[in-house]
Amino acid sequence: MSYDAILYIFVFLPVCLAAYQFTPRRHRWKVLLIFSWAFFFLLSRALLVYLIGATLLTYYTGIALAWLRTEETTEMAEADRSGKREIKLKYQRRRKKALALGVILLLAVLAYLKYYNFFVRSMDLIPDWISLPLTLEEKKLVMPVGISFYTLQAIGYMADVYWGKIAPEGKPGRMALFLGFFPQIMEGPICRYSDTAKTLFQGEPLKYQNLTDGYVRIFWGLFKKKIVADRLAVPVAAIFDNYTQYSGVLIAVGAVAYTIQLYMEFSGCMDIIIGSGKLFGVCLPENFRQPFCARSAAEFWRRWHITLGTWFKTYIFYPVSMSGIVKRWNQFGRKHLGKYATQLGVAAAALFPVWLCNGLWHGARWSYIFYGMYYFVLILAGEAVKPLRDKILSACHIHEESTGWRIVQTAKTWVIIFTGELFFRADGLKAGVHMFRSMFRDFGLSRLWDGSLLELGLARSDLAVAAAGCVVAAIVGHIMENNKNIPQKFAERPVAARWCVYYGLILAVIIFAAYGDGYQAVDMIYAGF
Amino acid sequence: MKNIRRCIIFFVVLALLLGIGSAWISSRAQSMSKYVKGRSRTYTGIAAEPEGSVDMIVLGDSESYTSVSPLGIWADRGYSSYVCGQPGQKVQETYYMLRHALEKQSPKVVLMETNLMFRNPGFFGNIQTSLTEFLRYHMPVFRYHNLWKMLLDGRVPNDDYKGFTIRDGVKGCDSDKEKNYMKETTDKAEIPRTVHMYMEKIMDLCKKNGAELVLYSAPSPKNYNYKKHNAIEEYAGTKGLHYIDLNLKAKELGIDWKKDSYDRGDHLNLFGAQKVTAYLGKYIDEKYDMTDHRGDSVYQDWDRLAEKYLAELKKRIKN
Repeated sequence: MSYDAILYIFVFLPVCLAAYQFTPRRHRWKVLLIFSWAFFFLLSRALLVYLIGATLLTYYTGIALAWLRTEETTEMAEADRSGKREIKLKYQRRRKKALALGVILLLAVLAYLKYYNFFVRSMDLIPDWISLPLTLEEKKLVMPVGISFYTLQAIGYMADVYWGKIAPEGKPGRMALFLGFFPQIMEGPICRYSDTAKTLFQGEPLKYQNLTDGYVRIFWGLFKKKIVADRLAVPVAAIFDNYTQYSGVLIAVGAVAYTIQLYMEFSGCMDIIIGSGKLFGVCLPENFRQPFCARSAAEFWRRWHITLGTWFKTYIFYPVSMSGIVKRWNQFGRKHLGKYATQLGVAAAALFPVWLCNGLWHGARWSYIFYGMYYFVLILAGEAVKPLRDKILSACHIHEESTGWRIVQTAKTWVIIFTGELFFRADGLKAGVHMFRSMFRDFGLSRLWDGSLLELGLARSDLAVAAAGCVVAAIVGHIMENNKNIPQKFAERPVAARWCVYYGLILAVIIFAAYGDGYQAVDMIYAGF
Repeated sequence: MKNIRRCIIFFVVLALLLGIGSAWISSRAQSMSKYVKGRSRTYTGIAAEPEGSVDMIVLGDSESYTSVSPLGIWADRGYSSYVCGQPGQKVQETYYMLRHALEKQSPKVVLMETNLMFRNPGFFGNIQTSLTEFLRYHMPVFRYHNLWKMLLDGRVPNDDYKGFTIRDGVKGCDSDKEKNYMKETTDKAEIPRTVHMYMEKIMDLCKKNGAELVLYSAPSPKNYNYKKHNAIEEYAGTKGLHYIDLNLKAKELGIDWKKDSYDRGDHLNLFGAQKVTAYLGKYIDEKYDMTDHRGDSVYQDWDRLAEKYLAELKKRIKN
């Protein structure tokens, strides 16, 4: 049962809404938990034990961390001035150990299920003369749905308790709901406890405005996924699955089409997910903010899969930046190398693990690691050339905010994004390199209008509908980018105007969505990560 | 209270919009049935037949429309039939297809191919299919929503002979498989619960409309075995239905698995279908005393189409 399935939208959600509403307020979170576990069980069956295990581990780590903090406070109150420092250090070490144990156990499960076979396959790359004392064989491993998402969420929670940013959750059931809330379990967003816990547990009664906003958001998501993304899946598969048969502009078309497909599909699912949460009054964080308006690779990642970027920034980038080794480098560099080289060194040290993890998080493939390193190099290069670029702009009297320069920067970012997605979607790194190289061979721009596009499995009418869907999404994105809050603007309109838009949206999905005769259901891409 | 009233009005208007849209699109789909492709094709095809003109409805998955040729039966026996089969038809689709066909037709016989009785899309799949088919039946806008696409693309699908398409390719079947696939056993395959449920509905529908439900299994080494035979035989016995398993009569029919399949024993080709059609046409005719309409002015179209069909057959057999 995926989020765009009729079963989810018209059966599962309404039944859950009814059960939620007819339950006393203080027990409503339990209804959400029962439905969340039922949802998970229906998708992953017995693998629910992994989620329960992760929940218990996260819960007890939080409790242990809080207990250590209380113990520290008690001992500190009784200690004299000289003993306080010692007590502080002792408990700091203990808390670090408790946190490390929780994080390592969680990551060990993820690493085993997700990366074990990749590790075994990669051992072939080790030269024969390095004889390792172990022989490993590939295993048939099944991953529970959403493990990559709830593991990060659990680690984030433990770290926040460790840093004292939040108090630990006192009820294991609530922890279970925080990690397993059904709308977000398959594709995120990766929530922080402090952001969602309040609305998740408060059991707010169903409200007309929440239901309206929620269902409009769900239909907007269906519009993006079913009208655009599912159509583009056909030519994308035709090009990427038979990449040796294509070259030049058609490979470029494949990269662009895949990027649009991925955006429409992921952001569309996110709309359905956030809309589903909204029905219950639960505010889930946004995951996209018009990523194609970005003017640099770094800005792109602040607008694309925002919660993943925020997670890496909070739990990897900052801790690495503040680590002892980086601090020592900072001191050494400022003395001997100057500010520029030092800052670049700090950026490299903090960004490298972020982008390595980003690549690996997407899956156990060399092409994903390459994808992470691609952005690492580009973002670091951006930092490295910034002083020179500023000088050139100043010498040429080009204003940073001028329209012309903005267009150039946005176009450059698009090229970066499309190239990155080409490697991301390609069937392995070798295939990605092959496709990238063949893009510059036999370019043949005329293939854009000589009918070659119609041989990729999509009829003219489907291409027209997908293009029209993109235009509508671009217009909505443009309005959002200009700081216009669409839901709020809508609420100010007369009922008749609002309803016309609602009916238009619903009918557009019913008439133009890619379902029924001649279409295949397309799996959610990020659910596979 | 104001909000509840508002919600009711919203959904009533939406239902009206969908209802009006459904009625309009259904009539358009019928008048443009030649453009309709895929699973909806037989749906519009049977709806386009003149009222009360079809004597036998054939239901089932791809095994049905590759084994029974209505125009072959017409040419041999003179009674009319229509194959309402769809690729991978599920029992829910079979039920709604029959309901749809019976809106205009009063067939004497409903002939159902049994391969779909073992199809089980699982818990979710069954709920999803039941829901989708219910919606598609009551709100045809969901079935024909992409009619605009078929019209815009303008491509007319291959000739359709009352639900049967000529497939004259030959891809023979592995000889061991052909010899052993109906090895006698007392074991029984399991018929899923959803199939039981919908079969009851199908039987009720046939009973209400005075049609005789006959089950048959088309010859197919890939899809059938003795376990399935036992299951259907027992089912038919308990429900008092006629059951013809052509897998046990392959020799009698003269099926040659080296020549009569177009995909290694999954489906029959034209040559295999001719043999099955001749057998079933005769069996039904003799058992249910079907009327010969050949030469009847109401069935002029059938005569014309049969001529075209026979000419096409000659051409294909020559090649």
